[in-house]
Parts: sequence; structure tokens; C-alpha cells
Amino acid sequence: MTSLSLKGIRKSYGQLPVIKGVDLTVDSREFVVFVGPSGCGKSTLLRMIAGLESITAGDLEIGGKRMNDVDPSKRGIAMVFQSYALYPHMSVRDNMGFALRFAGKPKDEIARQVNEAARILELGPLLDRLPAQLSGGQRQRVAIGRAIVRHPDVFLFDEPLSNLDAELRVHMRIELARLHRELQATIIYVTHDQVEAMTLADKIVVLREGEVSQVGTPLQLYDDPDNLFVAGFIGSPKMNFLSGEVVDTGAGAATIALVNHGGVRLTKPLGGQLLQKGEMVTIGIRPEHFGVAGQGTDIALAVDVAEHLGSTTYVYAHGGGERLIIQREERHMGDTDAIAVSIPPEAALLFDSAGKRLR
Amino acid sequence: MSVALLRRGAVYAFLSVAAFLSVFPFYWMAVGSTNQSPDIVRGKLGVGENLLVNFQHLMTQVDLPRVFGNSFLIAVISTFLTLAVSSFAGYGFEMFRSRIRERIFQLLLLLLSIPFAALMVPLFVMISRAQLNNTFTAVVLPGIASIFIVFYFRQATKAFPRELRDAARVDGLKEWQIFLFVYLPTMRSTYAAATIIVFMNAWNNYLWPLIVLQTPENKTITLVISTLTAAYTPDYGVILLATVLATAPTLVIFFVLQRQFVQGMLGAVK
Repeated sequence: MTSLSLKGIRKSYGQLPVIKGVDLTVDSREFVVFVGPSGCGKSTLLRMIAGLESITAGDLEIGGKRMNDVDPSKRGIAMVFQSYALYPHMSVRDNMGFALRFAGKPKDEIARQVNEAARILELGPLLDRLPAQLSGGQRQRVAIGRAIVRHPDVFLFDEPLSNLDAELRVHMRIELARLHRELQATIIYVTHDQVEAMTLADKIVVLREGEVSQVGTPLQLYDDPDNLFVAGFIGSPKMNFLSGEVVDTGAGAATIALVNHGGVRLTKPLGGQLLQKGEMVTIGIRPEHFGVAGQGTDIALAVDVAEHLGSTTYVYAHGGGERLIIQREERHMGDTDAIAVSIPPEAALLFDSAGKRLR
Repeated sequence: MSVALLRRGAVYAFLSVAAFLSVFPFYWMAVGSTNQSPDIVRGKLGVGENLLVNFQHLMTQVDLPRVFGNSFLIAVISTFLTLAVSSFAGYGFEMFRSRIRERIFQLLLLLLSIPFAALMVPLFVMISRAQLNNTFTAVVLPGIASIFIVFYFRQATKAFPRELRDAARVDGLKEWQIFLFVYLPTMRSTYAAATIIVFMNAWNNYLWPLIVLQTPENKTITLVISTLTAAYTPDYGVILLATVLATAPTLVIFFVLQRQFVQGMLGAVK
């Protein structure tokens, strides 16, 4: 398997820039997920790698070779599309062998490759059916099979699970993870679903408005986001954000008052970041990181609704004009209108007024 | 209740009249082909016994195999070439982005509003200068790039999934291969519907062949039927029999392709 690199990749439609300079390296056998809200350019970036969109500026290298102007079929990639893109008039067998046929491979070789892919994906009994006779999940497996038979250096997946129902999505997710292990493949995968990104990726690339917001392992992004956008995008339920004002600085720490919660104060150690008194900041805290009340950093909230999921409970609450989600392990919260929680300073993340993380 | 019933009755009455107006001419044509001319003029509506006699008369007046052969050849070649050229154009207009694409397309649609009568004379001059007068090429050529069929294919192509083209490109197909091996089979029903439309137009075409085909051995069935009516005492039995025979091929084509025709009209790709 082969590595891939993007160097200063840009894309514009006329005057409108959609990809604004992406630098990225994908190592061999790595499972990289591009994630971001719709319109962030993740699919465009993938299509540029595939050769389906031209590259306005920058260099794309696959296996050390510059591929900017190479035909899609000669880039050593295979792509799986959101709508499966199976040829409707061909059987599953013909769909899977189509690329090999056009590459001039002999018939017995094609049959062998198709049967091998069918074995891996358990498509054997479906080989003579037409796409219209398959379920959504089966179609997606055929689309993956069509990619596998080409033995590509890099697999490209464009939101492959978004047309499937929730249950099948979970099943196919596990299936994809297994496939990645089995094929030892380099995979670039686009999704807007951060749960998919978290569960599948070796490395996540968070994109926003045509730029890379942060690159890292799923847990790096979850625990240590670089900015407010990544902090809010990664994690389900979302991270909570509270407004704060710097009331004291010095000795490698800053004291923040939570302006919407009666001025409750948190002292947060900071390494080298300069903050001014009176500066507005944002405190981020994950739902599971709230502590029990009585720690000196308590805030009081009114409960809107509590969701009991069995093993855990999500409490949707509000206070001081801010809506928060709190995760509790108690199975029975009881009917309560109010809740008090503490904010452990070590679990809270600090962001400046521009949304940049302060460490 | 009674108002609803009345309304329903009115609707049925209206539809019955409409159905009668649509079907009766066909019935009369079919029945007329079996009757003698005086009976037809008198308004006889029953089936007669004169079919074979009418047929014999028709055969003596007209070289039927030749005339049908001419019509058939012109219709088949027209259909094939029109579908090829117009579907290429429709595919191109929809698939390739260009700044002037819509301008050109609007201009083409504008051309639809020019009546054929206005084009007839310059077209005839062009054909004569090209020395194609009195040839089948002259009949076929002006209709090949049919703006209506280009428009029809462009609209149908909007429903063709772009990801299929992308997948084919990744699979290593050139544009013409994508057209031939992916687009064409996927758009079967669109082609079927267009085949019926173009074949019928070509088969029934009267005015243009009348202008460019001069010698009797090149005449088509529509031209021949019109010459039958020009006789001093037209034999309506013979004329109606010729009309029945002229209608048959288009009916056959329609019934063979009707399922695809309906699908094509509804949208090709599900």
C-alpha cells in the first residue's frame, strides 16, 4: 500500500475559493477520515484526489509520484460513492468486473478477482442479480467490492453510509473496520458524521470552510481540540460552552469568572499564554466531566428534560441563558427541576474570543 | 350525494364524447377500407365486403412494396441518425459545464418558434445547390439535429446520476465509452420514447418530402395517399385502405415500445 500527500492544495470555481490550501500526509495503511459540516469542501477534496475535479494549485502525490494531471483510472485509486453508483443495467458480477474488463484483463483473471472480492464481502449468492434487486446494504457491499477488485493503492469513500438506515450503518461501520484490517489498505473516507469519524479513523482531518481545522487521532481531537470549532464538532453529545471573563492573571494561571452563573470562579493553569484582565473567554466542558456539587465551582441549573438511556442519563438543563448537557451515571435521577454541578478546572478547556484554544 | 353523482355523470359524459371523437375516425377509417366508395360517401358505418377489391385497385394504382420500402428506409435512417446526433447533443449540453452553454441552448429553443414554412424555401435552395434534390438524403438531412429531441434528451439526462459518470471515469472509461456503455443502456426508455416520436414524425412527414422528392419511384406512402385523393373521382375505399396500411407500422412500433415509452416519458432513471 502507498502513502499520499497533499501540498498546498487549492481549488477555486472562478473567483470563488473552495479549498484554501490543504497540506496533509496520509501514511500507508492509514485510515484517514475527512470530517466537517456540509459545504466545508471535504467531498471536493476527495474528488480532487480521485481526479474527478481539477486541482487549481498545489501538488498531489500518490506513492511519491505527482498525480495532478493523471487520469483517474491511472492514479491507483478506487472510489465508493454515496449513491453507490452501480451500473443499473449490469449484474453484480459485471459491475464488479467492469473496470478490469476495460483494463484489458483476461476473462478468467476477472472471474477470479470478482469471486475473491465476493468471498470477502459475502456477495457470492448475489453475483447474478441486478442492482435494483438488492437492498441498500447489499448495494453498498457491491460498490465496495467493485473497488476491491481493482486492488487500488488508495481507497476513497465518499459518505458511503449516509444512505443506509441507522442499524445498517452501525453494521457496515464494523464491516469497514474489519475490511481495513483484512486488506491492510490505505483509506480516505469522507463523512459529516463525527461518530463514524471517531469509530473508524486512525487519523481525523477536521475541515472547515475549505481549510484544515485540526488533524489528529480521534482521542487527540476529543481530549485536546485546537479550537472551539473542533471542540464543538467532535463528541456526541456536544461539548458545553460557557462564557467567562478573565478577572485575574499571573503565576502561570488565570482566574475566570463565569459571567452567566453569578461570577463563579475557576482558576486554570496556563503555559505562556498572555491574557488580559477583562478579556472575554469561553470555557468548554464535556457532558461527562461535570462533577458533583460542593467543589467550590458549582453552578445551579434548571432541568429541561432528562433522557434515560439505561446505562447513562443525559440531563438537558439551562441557566444564565446557556443551555448545557450533563451526563450522569445514575440510572434514576428522579423528577427534579433543578440540579447543581461543579466544573472541575482540570477538565475545563479555555478558548479565547477568536475561538483559539488557550493551553 | 346527488350533486357528487351529477358531477361524476357530467365528467363521464364529457370523457365519453372525447373518447368518441378520438376513436371514431380510426373506426371509420378501418371500416371504410372494407366498403365501396359510394357506401362510404353515403355514411355506411358497418363492415363491408369490398376489402379485397379495394386492395386489388390499390395494387394496380400504386407500387406498394416500393412505396412502403421508401417510407420505411427514410423513417429508419432518420430515426437512427436523429437519435444518435440529438442524444449526443443532449448529453453534452447537460454534462459539460460552460459559460456560454445556456446561451446557446436558449438560442436553439428560440429556433423552435420559427415555422417550417419560413425555412422551406432557403432549405430547398441549399439542398438543390448541394445537388441532393430528389434523394433520400435530402429528406433525412434537415431533421437529424432535432432541437426538440435535443431538448428532450437534455431534460432526461438531468435524471442521469452524475456519480455513474464519475464511477465510469474512475473505472477507466473514455467519454465516448461512458456514453456507449453506461449512458445509453441506462437511458433505454428515453431512447424508446424518442424512437416512437421520431419514427412517427419521419413516417408521417409530408410537406418536406413533397418538395424534395419529385420522381414517382422515390415517393413515400404519405405522398402517394395524397395523389390518390387528387383523382377526378377519388375512390375512398382505396384511400382509406392505404391509410390503414400507412398507420400500421407506427402502431406496431408503439405497441412494441409502449412500456418503455411510458417509462421514458415519466423519467428514465429510477
